Amino acid sequence: MSAPAAAAVRTGAALREVLETARASWTDSATAGGMVALAAALAPFALGGLIATDTLASGAYLALAATGLGLCVGLAGVPSLAQGAFVGTGAFVAAHVLRHTQMPGELCAVIGAVGAAGLGTAAGFAVRSLDAVRVAVGTWLLSWLVALALGALPWLSGGAQGLVVPTRRLFGFSPTPLVHYELAVILTGLCALALVALRRGPFGLDLAAAAQHRGAAAALGVPMERLRVGAFAASAFVGGLAGGFAVQLDIVADPTAYGPLLSFELLVAVLVGGAAAALGPSAGVVVLGLIALVARAFGGLAGVSGSRFQPMLEALLLLAVLTTGGNAFVPAAIAAARRRFPERRIRPRPSAAPLRTRRELLRAHELAERFGHVRAVDGVSLELTPGSITALVGPNGSGKTTVLRLLAGALPPDHGHITLASHELTAATPAERVRHGVVRTLQTHAYFAELTVLEHALVGIDRTRRHGGAVRALVSTPLFRAESRLAEAQAFAALEAVGLAADAARPASELTGTGRQRLMIAAALATNPAVLLLDEPSAGAAAEDLERLTAILDRLRAEGLAVLLVEHNLRLVRAVADEVLELELGRVVRRERLPRL
Amino acid sequence: MSLAVQVVFTGLSAGAVYGLVAIGHSLIYRLTGIVHFALGDLIGLGAFVTLLVAAGTQPLTQETVSGGRMALAIVVGVVVCVLVGAGGYFAVVQPYIGRSAIGWVAATLALGFAIRAVLDAGFSRPAYVFPDPIPFRRVGHDGLLTILGAEVHVRSFAVIGVAIVVAAAASWVLQRTWFGRSLRAIADDSDGAAIVGISVERTRALAFGLAGGLAALAVVVAAPGTPFETGSGALLGLKGLVAAVLVRFGGLWTAFAAGLALGIFEAAVGTGLLGHLPGLASYRELIPLLAAIVVLAVRPLRLREAVE
Repeated sequence: MSAPAAAAVRTGAALREVLETARASWTDSATAGGMVALAAALAPFALGGLIATDTLASGAYLALAATGLGLCVGLAGVPSLAQGAFVGTGAFVAAHVLRHTQMPGELCAVIGAVGAAGLGTAAGFAVRSLDAVRVAVGTWLLSWLVALALGALPWLSGGAQGLVVPTRRLFGFSPTPLVHYELAVILTGLCALALVALRRGPFGLDLAAAAQHRGAAAALGVPMERLRVGAFAASAFVGGLAGGFAVQLDIVADPTAYGPLLSFELLVAVLVGGAAAALGPSAGVVVLGLIALVARAFGGLAGVSGSRFQPMLEALLLLAVLTTGGNAFVPAAIAAARRRFPERRIRPRPSAAPLRTRRELLRAHELAERFGHVRAVDGVSLELTPGSITALVGPNGSGKTTVLRLLAGALPPDHGHITLASHELTAATPAERVRHGVVRTLQTHAYFAELTVLEHALVGIDRTRRHGGAVRALVSTPLFRAESRLAEAQAFAALEAVGLAADAARPASELTGTGRQRLMIAAALATNPAVLLLDEPSAGAAAEDLERLTAILDRLRAEGLAVLLVEHNLRLVRAVADEVLELELGRVVRRERLPRL
Repeated sequence: MSLAVQVVFTGLSAGAVYGLVAIGHSLIYRLTGIVHFALGDLIGLGAFVTLLVAAGTQPLTQETVSGGRMALAIVVGVVVCVLVGAGGYFAVVQPYIGRSAIGWVAATLALGFAIRAVLDAGFSRPAYVFPDPIPFRRVGHDGLLTILGAEVHVRSFAVIGVAIVVAAAASWVLQRTWFGRSLRAIADDSDGAAIVGISVERTRALAFGLAGGLAALAVVVAAPGTPFETGSGALLGLKGLVAAVLVRFGGLWTAFAAGLALGIFEAAVGTGLLGHLPGLASYRELIPLLAAIVVLAVRPLRLREAVE
């Protein structure tokens, strides 16, 4: 067969595969989404004359910006109050480019979006490791910073009258309001699709895990800071794109239009429509549009401009949605639809792959850690060998958990060093250690409240993926899809090892406390570890839980894992441990090898 | 020299108000772990209620208000501010504390924008001149004193004085009274405070009210100097937040001092005291904002801040 013919055959096969995957993953929600998009595209013709097309187009750009914000608020669970600033940055960067170059309109908008993404990256970097309060304050200050800068710096904003923007053709069309509207609808649809794709991929899953329990996500090595910077950058890019196109619709860049009020309105749209659903923010913008109509009618009655009432009605609506439990319109509608029309598609369960583990020796030498004057750990050396379980026992405050945290990288040791095989890990972060094969579980029953059992294991698997990046997830490359299938099989293997494979599709919140603990062991196993650090896995366990735990630990030893068990329950220790280290006041006071049958 | 004196007095009288708002932000943050985004608008509400009681929504001159009515107006304004502040705590903060950050962020913002919308609907002119509670124009040279060659508004002394008295009173309340001890106990450990019989919610609500009410008092004293807009409260809330963030929500006097420093900085950059870089004056509000964002971002690193 000639080379072109072979290529044609390959292309054909690839296309068929794409088609089949598309058909297999086609759901009722996809049909519903498609119908909504079609209705949105036809709206200007149906509403002919009732609402001016340029008003509709402005609204559609607002929906685009809100959909971008949905990435931060919905997926990452971060209260970003700076989306208005990103829209404004996109608008003014695009306006300057339009005024000083002859580039086509769409290119200027993209340049504006890149500028906004730059600001978004900087903002994301600034708040990458902050708690929600500080993120809210920081983004709020940024929103004001951009608004005040536009007001104070005429060279930037063109002074009080703003910058007049020349009109250019958009993608070869003359820039009528209708063209703007359809463009905005298409972009919003694409952005919503991207959100769906991201949410299903590793990027979205890791973001959701980090949003639901930071500590547990950190223990599994989720690179939370990088993900958050990415979420901010992407959400700012979309906001900037909306600003860059909308400014060409308005013909003038108005420096007063991008203040904190815009950021607030976009947040209202996301929360009212529903942050969790890809089309939620757009629905929220439609609701805001209806509010504007009501406000105008209201203002007409009172004899003042309706815009004065609009923020108040928006605020009241938001408060109403928040106080009724925060289940916004679109998620509520989806839940109602699910009850009436249960999802028909049943996902075939993949055959489980063998459990992957590595066999590597961990050595810790003379570890020491002080808290003020207290020597919490004082010269502890230990070896964790493949296929053996080492138990760390001792009274409360003897330094057991501190040793575990030093090994996991949650604390930097004051003294001593840690190596895994030939890798020096002493200065490595927890995430780097997870990649090298050292993973821990937490003492608490911490888990990710809104993920399913299978998704917990997939968060672990994500650490081992090589083709799981956000861009690959967006375009769904063949490598990405193949790896995703493999990931699912491996996740099942990890669940099987702790006896949870049958519960894969259940929400993790339905599991018992000890079930969640086993689940987090499975998630840790999924990271393909050499060394597993377990912090009191028996906490809260009843007799049958202990038996099950014993069986699980025996299985892990048989798989060749090196396990460190920090444990109070001496029955469990005696049942499984190969070696017992007793700590007192941070020192090892006894080492004992237990005979194994 | 005369310019420096001018800057110091202008800066201190603006900064005194920022300082009181910063105290409010700091108190609320330490008490509940949240930031009250509606605090500035609450202060604006207090100021405009005072105006409403004193003179209605009509234009007014400083001669048209009697002293008694003005005193009543200030009392009503502060009381409304305290009531709405405390009510706001129950409506928009308490349901979300410790549960959903997005919840209280969105709800306090909503309260702020709702207040501003109400003010916008009632007070439709772009800016208002406040009646003067104390007739400063009769003092000195039409309300101006010449100190070391600088013309200083007599009002500045009153604003600074009132702010210091209010801050000192707040400090006394925090240190010496049962209410203050309850507040500090809640800030340390709200569960522990509840166990020893402190009514956590009521105490917090009162603190939320007072945080806005005290600042509103200073605003009313300061407002007659310049035109006051419905959005002015929000801007004051922002300046107070910037000051509080710059000292990482520190203690009462620290927050107050940060507010004073912010006022002096703005005045100094605004008048070109720090040299005449072209256009530097336009950055007087932007530089502290940027600095606050940087302070937020670079926390002192505490042992990788274990998140367990």
